[in-house]
Parts: sequence; structure tokens; C-alpha cells
Amino acid sequence: MSVHQIKRGLDIPIAGAASGAPVELPAPATVAYAPTEFRGITPKLAKREGEAVKAGEPLFFHKHAPELVFLSPASGTVKEIRRGRRRVITDIIVEVSGNEAVSFKKYSQADLEGMSDADARSLLLSGGMWGALRTRPLDRIPAVDAKPQSILISATETGPLQPGADVLLTDADAPALAAAVALLGKLGTVNLAVPAGKSHPAWSGVKAKLHEFAGPHPAGDAGVQVNLIDPPRGKSEVWYLSAWDAVLIGRLALEGRFPAERVYAAVGVGVAKPRFVKTLLGAPAKHIVGDTAQGDVRWIRGSVLTGTKIGADDHASFYSRGIHVLPEGVEREVLGWATPQLGKWSAHSAYLKGMFGGGGSYDLRPGLYGGHRAIVPIGQYKKVIATPDIEPEFLFRSIIAGDLEESITLGLLDLTMEEAALCSYVCPSKIDFDILLREGLDFYEREA
Amino acid sequence: MKAFLVNFFDGLRPNFEKGGKYEKFWWALEGVETVALTPGERTHKGAHIRDHMDMKRLMIFVLFALTPAILTGMWNIGFQAYTAENLTASGLDCFLRGAYHMLPIIIMSYTAGGLAELVFCHVRGHEVNEGFLVTAMLFPLTLPPTIPLWMVAVGVIFGVVIGKEVFGGVGMNILNPALTARAFLFFTYPGAMSGAKVWDVAGSANLLTHSGTPIDSYTGATALNVASGTPGAASAVSALTEAGFTLEKMALGAIPGSMGETSVVAIAAGALFLIATGIASWRTMVGCVLGLVGVTSLFAYGVWEPGANTMLSLPPAYHLVMGGFAFGTVFMATDPVSSCTTETGRFIYGVLIGVLCGLVRVVNPAYPEGMMLAILFMNVFAPLIDYYIVKGTTRRRVARLAAA
Repeated sequence: MSVHQIKRGLDIPIAGAASGAPVELPAPATVAYAPTEFRGITPKLAKREGEAVKAGEPLFFHKHAPELVFLSPASGTVKEIRRGRRRVITDIIVEVSGNEAVSFKKYSQADLEGMSDADARSLLLSGGMWGALRTRPLDRIPAVDAKPQSILISATETGPLQPGADVLLTDADAPALAAAVALLGKLGTVNLAVPAGKSHPAWSGVKAKLHEFAGPHPAGDAGVQVNLIDPPRGKSEVWYLSAWDAVLIGRLALEGRFPAERVYAAVGVGVAKPRFVKTLLGAPAKHIVGDTAQGDVRWIRGSVLTGTKIGADDHASFYSRGIHVLPEGVEREVLGWATPQLGKWSAHSAYLKGMFGGGGSYDLRPGLYGGHRAIVPIGQYKKVIATPDIEPEFLFRSIIAGDLEESITLGLLDLTMEEAALCSYVCPSKIDFDILLREGLDFYEREA
Repeated sequence: MKAFLVNFFDGLRPNFEKGGKYEKFWWALEGVETVALTPGERTHKGAHIRDHMDMKRLMIFVLFALTPAILTGMWNIGFQAYTAENLTASGLDCFLRGAYHMLPIIIMSYTAGGLAELVFCHVRGHEVNEGFLVTAMLFPLTLPPTIPLWMVAVGVIFGVVIGKEVFGGVGMNILNPALTARAFLFFTYPGAMSGAKVWDVAGSANLLTHSGTPIDSYTGATALNVASGTPGAASAVSALTEAGFTLEKMALGAIPGSMGETSVVAIAAGALFLIATGIASWRTMVGCVLGLVGVTSLFAYGVWEPGANTMLSLPPAYHLVMGGFAFGTVFMATDPVSSCTTETGRFIYGVLIGVLCGLVRVVNPAYPEGMMLAILFMNVFAPLIDYYIVKGTTRRRVARLAAA
């Protein structure tokens, strides 16, 4: 076992954390998929609007690999297919009714140990869990016949107010995690990233190489961990998935059913009572959150750093484990640039709370708090980048200049979205580095 | 107050938006509004939350750090003049007399530079860059108190336009704009910028005698002039001591010199503030000091015979408190835009500035002060240093990936 102590990074003390054990919610009225979050997938519908669907039956599949399917979390009828610009499918909504479910073959741990590569693949593909796998560096779902350099299962989460292993893993998950490790072990070497200094019955007996991670966000980000454990060499790709998704893969194999149960967090100052809930995959955001604060609020699927803005009537998704409700309304200060601003939290030492550390949590609002300027480098970006050997100002400049070769040399494929979002957070020039990184990666995908 | 301001600007805004009466002057409203109130703009793409830190706070903190140097500089102008006139004056008298000479220069710098800045805002359609607030304050502090106002105007306009705006504004410039302005005046009007006569306003009208006090045979040479230009002196130190330049006096700033550069104590206070608030790089500052101390130690304690060049024997401690070294180290070399960007690069950049400053002062008899030229020279070389540091980082990355 090796311990990685991350020094560079930033934990943003935003208020509105959830606490307590997950609350079991009654079945939601609708469940949904948001196919746009599956990078590298061209969704093709398996069911039309108004058609009946069983739990575990394919809702859509990848146009270029029909065996890569995404399964319905519940039985019912396909209520609505929403499309965005250029007719891209943005939401597939199922109205829940009845409890007809498709069942799959059950395997024992011994079966999984002796399984072939091809059988392991087809189990993941037909069981609707192939999508849980993503590749570094492009965060795409791997091709169905691709070979990984290694596979990282990450049981760490450090994003602002995002639920981690203490909420999402229970003692009873140990067999399922062991099963998933055995199954994924057929495809490649499995590494397991866990929080440092915390043993958990779920992973204590797992037969994978353990890597402990400690430190501020993005220490828990799988991309950063891949960079430190086994960075992809040349054209090869490293796969990663969260430990909670690995547990679901284990349940699929052991219990022979599509595991649609999910624990979601409802967090943020805009949530009346922040909480964890146990419900179905893709449950409505309102169902998860319950009551919200009065006034104008922003609904975010995922975290305030890298999450997606959604409408109040939208749903949770496959990868996200939380809905953050953030009150809109940016407080304005008279001469705020020149006054001490004692109560304000900042990552910069130009605020007292940034210099000495504040403690506590803060009602941070979605404001820019400044005008757009050119980069004035005061060393602010490097402080939040955990991936080693990156010179952020030079990397970002090369992306802006559209110099693909240079930006790859400087680490375009190493930097993670969480790190770029942290750069956006601390930037005094209010530059959207996360969007810039996405543009750089998209450019790379088009060219490569 | 806040509600009134919010309403006031909300009421004005329609006139300045697209299609409004004054849409071409949107930068004026934006500039004034964001000074009065922090922006109320919401994030609409990228990370949903952002830090409170912005460019205005970054730049105003440099002005805060300059305050001790500005105040001691004002006092010193009066103090030098009254001393030369053999008059006893209180600290307040000295301060007022200094303010009388210094404020018009500062106001002229802001007015002329501000106009140049606004013209570019209007023509190029960009927001008012607050970096200008720092440039227009740094520049006058590097000038002698007798500088004619029209030269201030010409210099600052040159600095803003050629030093900054032609490259695209703050963040894109290669040279430090304030130093560009100073270098322009230094080479264009050397008579007003250097020599022994320009550092003292003695003889001008003052509050004590209400008229000019005639003075004779007073030399207002700076410590660097004395150290480098006293023929026949046994050593630079003895020449300095004879002329009244002790280490303490130079550190406190009661000596002739540019308006803001004399008090090393006040500048050090600013340095501590800038380092504590994370705005200036301590690596650059430490590098400058090490570079200067290193090279002057070699000269002073090395094998060279001083001979006719008395500067050779001057101990490093004197170099640190003389001339514009401290001011340049803290406020000019650390300019985040024109200095190196990488952490290691900033240190190397600082060391080279210190070394160059020492070399110009000691080895080149034409210019007793080397700091301005050292910084401008290294501004030009900063990208080259960064290039090799980034190359090293990249090589390390590739090696790490290959070994993994």
C-alpha cells in the first residue's frame, strides 16, 4: 500500500452540507437518463415515446456498438424524449408504474474468478453497467473491445459537499465490491484508491492494490489519482470508475438484476433540509431535494465546481451523486475591492480569512465578483493543481493559442476538469479555465 | 447607501447598454460602477462559484503597500530642502512642503496617464484596466521631486501607450510600464533626471519663510553619486561618511533621491504586506537581494584591488540601502506580468536582476544607478528563463510518464 499526500488543492468551505443516514424515499413518479453525460456515446433509442418498458430493459444504446446498452431503472412507460440543439437527446424520461423487471444470470464469487475476458465484457455490457467505466485522459466511455492499461476504482470523494465512502459504502457492500474487483480483474489490473487513514470493511479484504489518498480537493478525483498511480502511456488508456459504481457492478453479477438503487445527496443553502436519500437512478431533482428555500435558486446536478445547471423539473443522473441547490442573488459591497471584508471567505491571502484560514462554512453565491481580465499570474493556479509537473499559465495560453502539440506537451491530457474548475474558482481575472480545458480536449478529439 | 447606489446604477444602465444613448461609453459606466460596488454579475458558464478576489483588489493592495513609501517620501522632500536651507522645521512642516511638490506630480501622472488609458478603452472597447492605478503611482515615485510637470505627462503617456497598450493592455505587456516611462525620461531628458542638482527642491517657496531661501554651495548629490564619483577619496565608505551618508540614515530615507525610493524601512513594510497578502513573489525579492549581495561581496571581499574605482570596495550592506534597489526589488521586479511566471523562474529572474544591478553600479562608471536598467533588461529575458524552466518541467513529466 502506498500513501499519496496531496499538498496542492483547495477545499471550498461552502455551507449546506448534508448529514445523517440516507432517508429511504418512496418510489419517484418518473426516472430519467441524461445521455449527454456519456462522453463518446451516440445514443440511439431502443424504446419510443409511449412504449412500455421493464426495469432492466434497454432504453437506448450506442449507435456504433449496439451491445453497449443503458437500462431502464424502473418499469413503466417512456413518457418523454427531450431533445436539445441539433436534435441531440438530452433527457429520456420514464413514468414509473408496476414492478416488472428483467432478470440476469447470477454468478458466484468463484464463477467470477474463473470468468473469461469476453464473458466479463458481455456481462458488463448487457447489464447496463459498461457506462460506469470511463477512460483517462478523455473521460469517455471505453470502446467495447478496448484494452485498458489498468483500471482504477476510486472510493474517494473530495468535491464540495459531495458524498463519499462514509455515506455511499456500507459494511454489507464488501462482497459486491470483491465481486466487481474480480470481474474487472479479467479486463486488466485493478487499483483501488481509498481515503488515507480510514479502514472500511467494504474494502479491507479486497484483492486489489490499495492506494491511500489524503489532502484537499482534488485529492479524491480519479483523474488526479490516475496521474499519480499509473498515468496512461502513449496511446493506451486507463479506465476508472467510482467504488459505488463498482459495488453496483458487483450486485449485478451476484444478484442477477440491474441495480437501479442510488444514494443521492441534497445539499446547498437552497435546500431546506440537506440530506442523503435512497431512491432510484435518475430520480427527479425535486424528489431528492424536498423543500427548497424561498426565492430564486439555481439547481446544479453534481458539484458547484463541475456540475451542470439543470431546471427544477430535471432529474439526477448516472454519474452524479448529488443535487446542489444554490440561491441566486449576488450580494454587492460598497467599495468591496478596497475594504477589509473581514467576514468574507477567500482562497487568497488578500482576505484575512484566506491568510489565517476561516473555519466554519460560508453561504457562497454564484457571483463572478469581478470583471474579465487577462491572466495576471500571482501563482494562484499552481496552488490548486495536484497533478505534478504542470505549468498552468503556459498550458492555458497554448490552449488559447490553439497550439495542440504544445498544449499536449504541457499536459493538456493530464490536467483534470476538477483542477481546471478550481483554477476558474481562484482566478482574479475571472477566466473560465474549465471551459477552456474542455475546448482544448474537444479540439484534440477532433484532430486525433 | 448600498441600496441607493444599486438603484442609481440600475437607473443609468439602459442608457449605456446596446442601443442606448451612450452605448459607446459603456466602459465609463462599467468602470465607475465596479469601483463603487462589487459586480453583481452571476456566473453563467464554467464553475458555478468564484472567489471574491478580483483584479481591483489585487491592484489596490499594491497601492496600500506603497503608502509608507509615499508618506516618508513626502516628508523627506521637505526635510532635504529645509536642511539645505539651514532651517529647522518640524516633521509636519517637512511633510507639507513635500506634499506641495509631490502631489501635483502624482495628480499629473494620473490625469495624463488616465486620459491615455481612457482613449484606448474607448477605441479598443475594453474595460478600464485597474493596473493603470499602480503604473501611474509607481512612475512618479521613481522621479526626482524637481521634475517639470509636462515631463511627467509625456513620460506617463509613453509608459501607458508604448509600455502597455500597444501590446493589448495589462497582462500582455512585456516591459513594466512604469519603468518604461522612467527609462524614456531618463534617456530623453537626462538633465532633469540625473546629476547632483535635481534631487532637492531647496530654494523654492516654503511655509516657514514664505519666500524662497537662497542657498549657495549646496550639493544634493545622491549616495550613489557620492560613492562612485568622489575622486581622491580613500574608499567609497569614507566618501559616504564624509558626505553624511551613514547606513542608518540611508535605511530610514533621510537622503536625497527619487521621491519614493529613499526609505528602505518604509519599502520593507510594503514588502511584508505584499508577501503576506500573496500579491508579490517573495522568490523574486529574495533573488534580487541574494544576487546583489553575492556580486557586490565578490567585488568588496574578492581579490580585486579597488584602484581608482572606489565602488569596487563598497560593502553589500551599503548597496542594499542605496539608490532605487529596494524600491525596484519590491515594486518593480515583482510585477507579475513582466516578470517570469514559473516559481523557479522568478527566483532566477530575481538573482539576475540583483547581479546586473551590482554590475552596472560597480563596473560601469557611466550609470551610478543600475536597478532600472537591470529590471528592464530582465523583463526582456523573463520569457527566455521561463522557456527553459517549462522545458525542464516538461522533460520531468515525460520521464515520469515513461518510468510509470
